[in-house]
Amino acid sequence: MKVSRREFIKSQAAVAAAAVAGVTLPATTQLLAAEGDEGIRWDKAPCRFCGTGCSVLVGVKDGRVVASQGDPDAPVNRGLNCIKGYFLPKIMYGKDRLTQPLLRKTDGKFDKNGKFEPVSWDEAFDVMAEKWKEAMKKEGGSSRVGMFGSGQWTTWEGYAAAKLMKAGLRSNNLDPNARHCMASAVVGFMRAFGIDEPMGCYDDLEHADVFVLWGANMAEMHPILWSRLTDTRLTKPGCEVHVLSTFENRCFELVDNPIIFKPQTDLAILNYIANHIIQNGQVNQAFVDQHVNFKKTATNIGYGLRPNDPREQAATNNGYPDPDKPGERKGDPMAAEAISLEEFAKLVEPYTLEYVSELSGVPKENLERLAKVYADPGKKVTSYWTMGFNQHTRGSWVNGSIYNVHLLVGKISEPGNGPFSLTGQPSACGTAREVGTFAHRLPADLVVMNPEHRAFAEKVWQLPEGTINPNIGYHAVLMQRMLKDGKMNCYWQQCNNNMQAGPNINDEMYPGWRNPENFITVSDPYPNASAQAADLILPTSMWVEKEGAFGNAERRMQFWRQQIDAPGESRSDVWQVMEFAKRFKMEEVWPEELLAKKPEYLGKTLYDVLFANGVVDQYPYEGKVVDERGNEFRNAESEYFGYYVQKGLFEEYRQFNTGPEIPKIGHEMADFDAYHRVRGLRWPIIDGKETLWRFRGGYDPHVQGDASTLSFYGNKDGRANAIFAPYDPPAEVPDQDYPLWLSTGRVLEHWHTGTMTRRVPELYKAVPEAQIFMNPNDARKLKLRDGQVAKVTTRRGEITARVETRGRNRMPEGMVFVPFFDAGRLVNKLILDATCPLSKETDFKKAACKVEKA
Amino acid sequence: MNICSLVVHARPERVPAVAAQLGRLPGVEIHGQGEGRLVVTVEDTAQTLAADTLAAVNGVDGVISTALIYHYGGDALDEPLLEEEHS
Repeated sequence: MKVSRREFIKSQAAVAAAAVAGVTLPATTQLLAAEGDEGIRWDKAPCRFCGTGCSVLVGVKDGRVVASQGDPDAPVNRGLNCIKGYFLPKIMYGKDRLTQPLLRKTDGKFDKNGKFEPVSWDEAFDVMAEKWKEAMKKEGGSSRVGMFGSGQWTTWEGYAAAKLMKAGLRSNNLDPNARHCMASAVVGFMRAFGIDEPMGCYDDLEHADVFVLWGANMAEMHPILWSRLTDTRLTKPGCEVHVLSTFENRCFELVDNPIIFKPQTDLAILNYIANHIIQNGQVNQAFVDQHVNFKKTATNIGYGLRPNDPREQAATNNGYPDPDKPGERKGDPMAAEAISLEEFAKLVEPYTLEYVSELSGVPKENLERLAKVYADPGKKVTSYWTMGFNQHTRGSWVNGSIYNVHLLVGKISEPGNGPFSLTGQPSACGTAREVGTFAHRLPADLVVMNPEHRAFAEKVWQLPEGTINPNIGYHAVLMQRMLKDGKMNCYWQQCNNNMQAGPNINDEMYPGWRNPENFITVSDPYPNASAQAADLILPTSMWVEKEGAFGNAERRMQFWRQQIDAPGESRSDVWQVMEFAKRFKMEEVWPEELLAKKPEYLGKTLYDVLFANGVVDQYPYEGKVVDERGNEFRNAESEYFGYYVQKGLFEEYRQFNTGPEIPKIGHEMADFDAYHRVRGLRWPIIDGKETLWRFRGGYDPHVQGDASTLSFYGNKDGRANAIFAPYDPPAEVPDQDYPLWLSTGRVLEHWHTGTMTRRVPELYKAVPEAQIFMNPNDARKLKLRDGQVAKVTTRRGEITARVETRGRNRMPEGMVFVPFFDAGRLVNKLILDATCPLSKETDFKKAACKVEKA
Repeated sequence: MNICSLVVHARPERVPAVAAQLGRLPGVEIHGQGEGRLVVTVEDTAQTLAADTLAAVNGVDGVISTALIYHYGGDALDEPLLEEEHS
């Protein structure tokens, strides 16, 4: 049988899809596909985009990625891929890919107002290091420099950066873009359970009877999880889907109980559910008695704005320095006071069906139907949330309130029952959270404020006592304010595009980047908004151009090998961090008295002390990486440094989470080589066995006993905290001048700011520009038609875009949505840089705006 | 050249109607059907790109979700890509 190459590939494609769907194909198609391959080398890699953590088979031929396929052996996606996954291979081949360092120069010298000119890596790092050393000589020392990383960093990139900043330069000014993404989820976990990340896993998608989505557009943002959920909904009798959102999104195509609520009233709805459970006698008393403490949170906590903002002056518990009492602070927004269940009941009692229906705008029958599924002991309920909960000026509260509901009925830590925080980025968990890239964190949930944690980190890192700075560094939003105010002067951003993604760009970000006192470095594969606003651009290897590791939302760490070479002089972020460390002599960064405790470090560089330390450099590199089938791969970093860089970094990191002396149990990981052999493993991993449901006997090796035994061992008393938080209004609400709500967010086709996906012609064409999604009645009142250009204005600026009233998002009256992927319309400049005072995460979902004809 | 395969989910009772609509899209071939699922390939045609057709598949009435399984993009990787404008 003679067939064309096209027919052959098509039959292979069909067979792969049929295998996933469990559909039988005609024999001829199957025969065709079996004929042979195209000389393509296939290997696995987790997807570069969202937090789902799908595994993709990457097909390489002649040094280029030519094909991709959903990985049929991957437990997460079981052979499926989403639309962005389809275009993954193309993200590396954009025409304007950066291939050399670029420095702003005039007449051959660095000039902040000069034009970008290609320079060597040596010149780039010489100039950068000089600026960093200059800055650190000023008052404040190492607080003058900072780094902004990413939940898209590989695990070792984040780990190396944390080590450079916290161990080497002794600055805690390191924060990830994950601060904008799931910091509220982290605070929620830490306050309730004393340990970060979800207790459940994706297997809940097949076990639950009811799914409740709280501010998570899974259909667009986690499409593969959505397809698993869809499958369960369509095949399991009695299964229902409840969707809560401030506007109708694609998830509403499958919804059984649609709930559109007024922004911020999710706080009240959760308290109503708790009240309903208590009033109807459906508290799981045995569970609560054994496993739950009740508390109430401090209130009047402000909105994370600058201290001179009237909203902060009025706040009594924002934790800011007290202007009336020098040396004292105004309360503590993290504070929580112990109460009884009876007191808790009294606090939620005002949240009646009538009151909350009125406040939220949700019909009573929808609210009651929702409350009943949580209360019903016969129904297994899994709750999912993403940015709706997290990007919220009360994000830490609302994360806590969903735990309150699950804890009251004991629906947690078992198949099908659980609250599950979905993450946005591929390694928000595995990197940003787990290796200590937050301004207050060290690896494995340790924190810089805790002397025992610092001492442990100093021991692992072979540092003299007192090296690690005990003060929390600047978080994402504070970094921008400090740059603008000239208190931080050097800033290095890797693996994200904050100049487009961050809030209040014109007032609080751009001025700091262009402040003549400051030197800004951006590492990126493409000249995006951030790169263009920088002083030095460093070209970066991306995705399968380097060996990597990502940890997804269900605690699953996944590895991949370098598949192809990066173009030109591009180097991975880990190479950049390690190489930059060579520019600093210990005498330049550590005071004499500290070095006196480790005289053997005299005359060495930060690179020697941090990376060539006998641990990171202990694994020899044999000149290639070979997989179990005999396929060979390069490893650019290991070739350069002369040892297996990724293995050394990972094995050192593992000393923080695995071993007899670790300060916090529960994050145990497998060894480096094990991860290369599997499609990821979910920690804690003890004796090679992963954990599906944490805190429960029979599943979690840290809990002795059978499945009836529970221990929330993240907290010393083994109990979880249900923390009451009230309804509080947002930082800004629509008024006469700005009568509409503005929310920004993502779309299926683009990844975040579009740095990668807008360079793929097909994705660009599919969704070329951001639109203003609005209600047809609002548009009519403003005399705007679909497709017409309109202007969106807030107190912080304006953008223009086309009006869309019938698209994928159906807006209620009074609410507008604009996606932020479009570099031609920096919509996040319209967003107020108000944050949750506990998590410091910005609220991108609730600005007051007006829309007019442009 | 772009060739890809996908699994299309639809409510079981609507699978025949969805199949009929999908069959009318350019470059779309239906290879098999199961309970609430269709196995479909989409390819570039002289007039259309697979990517546009994929979007159209999503827009077909009755489709709940689509999942991509396989993509071959060999030669197409060399086509011109776009630069970013900036405001």
